[in-house]
Amino acid sequence: MKQMTHRFKMVDIIYILMMIVPVCFGIVLKVLTTPASDGISISGARIYMTLPMPIQNLPITESQVNSAIVIVAVFFLCLYLTHGIKDGIWLKRHHFAEMIVEKCTGLVTNSMGEYFRAFAPFITAMLALSGFSSLITLFGLYAPTSDINIVAGWAILVFILITYYKMKCGPLEYVKSFGNPALMAPLNIISEIATPISMAFRHYGNVLSGSVIAVLVAAGLQGLSNMVFGALPGFFGKFPFLQVGLPAILSIYFDIFSGCLQAYIFAMLTMLYISGGFPLELYEARKKKRAQLCKN
Amino acid sequence: MMQSLEVISVNLWQILISLLNLLILFLLFKKFLFGPVNNMLAKRQGEIDARYEAADQAKRAAEEDKLLWDEKIGTVKAQTDEMMKKAQDSARRQSETIVSKAKEQADGIIRQAETQAQLEMKKAEEGIKQEIVEVSTALANKLLAREINADDHRELIDSFIEKIGDGE
Repeated sequence: MKQMTHRFKMVDIIYILMMIVPVCFGIVLKVLTTPASDGISISGARIYMTLPMPIQNLPITESQVNSAIVIVAVFFLCLYLTHGIKDGIWLKRHHFAEMIVEKCTGLVTNSMGEYFRAFAPFITAMLALSGFSSLITLFGLYAPTSDINIVAGWAILVFILITYYKMKCGPLEYVKSFGNPALMAPLNIISEIATPISMAFRHYGNVLSGSVIAVLVAAGLQGLSNMVFGALPGFFGKFPFLQVGLPAILSIYFDIFSGCLQAYIFAMLTMLYISGGFPLELYEARKKKRAQLCKN
Repeated sequence: MMQSLEVISVNLWQILISLLNLLILFLLFKKFLFGPVNNMLAKRQGEIDARYEAADQAKRAAEEDKLLWDEKIGTVKAQTDEMMKKAQDSARRQSETIVSKAKEQADGIIRQAETQAQLEMKKAEEGIKQEIVEVSTALANKLLAREINADDHRELIDSFIEKIGDGE
């Protein structure tokens, strides 16, 4: 066991602070910008400011800010976990970092094949970003994953990757892959385009529906509480007793379970689509052929 | 009063930013999580490989030593067996010679003793004969002092006594 020097501890503290500070910043921003008389409403992300841009103005919204918060926090979490790992493993968090790396690499190589080993950081980043973006609702912040733009961006990136790996054997093979039975070509093209759209809407819809249901249940319970206890005098008549308990249980499902599950599903689908669309055998045969041609 | 987005509102720039966000986080993960951990794992794997290599070498050396020693022990055993056999042979031979010598000596002693005994018996016989002759001559002298000449009848008496001695 090595001894932690003061400097090492100081850096650790800075890392931990840098994980906490962005979240606190987000909470403060949320509290400051939320109107006092905010009833129950279902709306999109709050717009902080709008930047003029060509084609379309860019609104800087809660989801943008919260994404940035998640990225900064996760980045410092990485730094914290791997701090001092160069001298060998000697802290619990090093084991944790090693576990994350090995599990994710195993997941990627199991479901995509050994060829796609380099995808492990990408899939891990996707899992972390998606998962923590959904889990940030636990701090009372707006989940970026319930904004279609955020998830659509990821889905489009996945679509680009799928197309890139399908194109690896040349554009001709790519075009041919659609007309497998020639009659099915239009359907194949539609399903190809539908892939990112379905991925984006699945993730976005699940998270958003969770928060919508939570809001509806909370509102309904408030109404019910008013009806049942409204006749009581003073404080007891106003306090929504029925809101205690049930929303918390719903939150466990919608915020924690559903958020993690959707992140996992999104990552799994990404891996399946990318590795499924890539004709590895054909690619390797072509590579061999090309190598032989080069030799001759 | 701050505005909110509609529940579904598509904005290209937001999509682009989100796409870039995922890419940035991917690069961050690659550089700051997978990079150090994989480096460390590779280092550890290298150390383990080196240790295994050393252990294999040591094992091989030990096996060679064992073979050498087995060989040596085999030769030593053969040598000791030979030596034992030699020693046993020589011991047997020695014991045989000792026993035979002893036998010879004992035989010699017994023969000597026998011959001596015979000699003494003869001597004694002679002595007894002489005495008997003398006694009988004396008796005869006394009995037949005048008539019988000792010298004349010597032969007769002798044969008589001989008979007596033999007849015993």
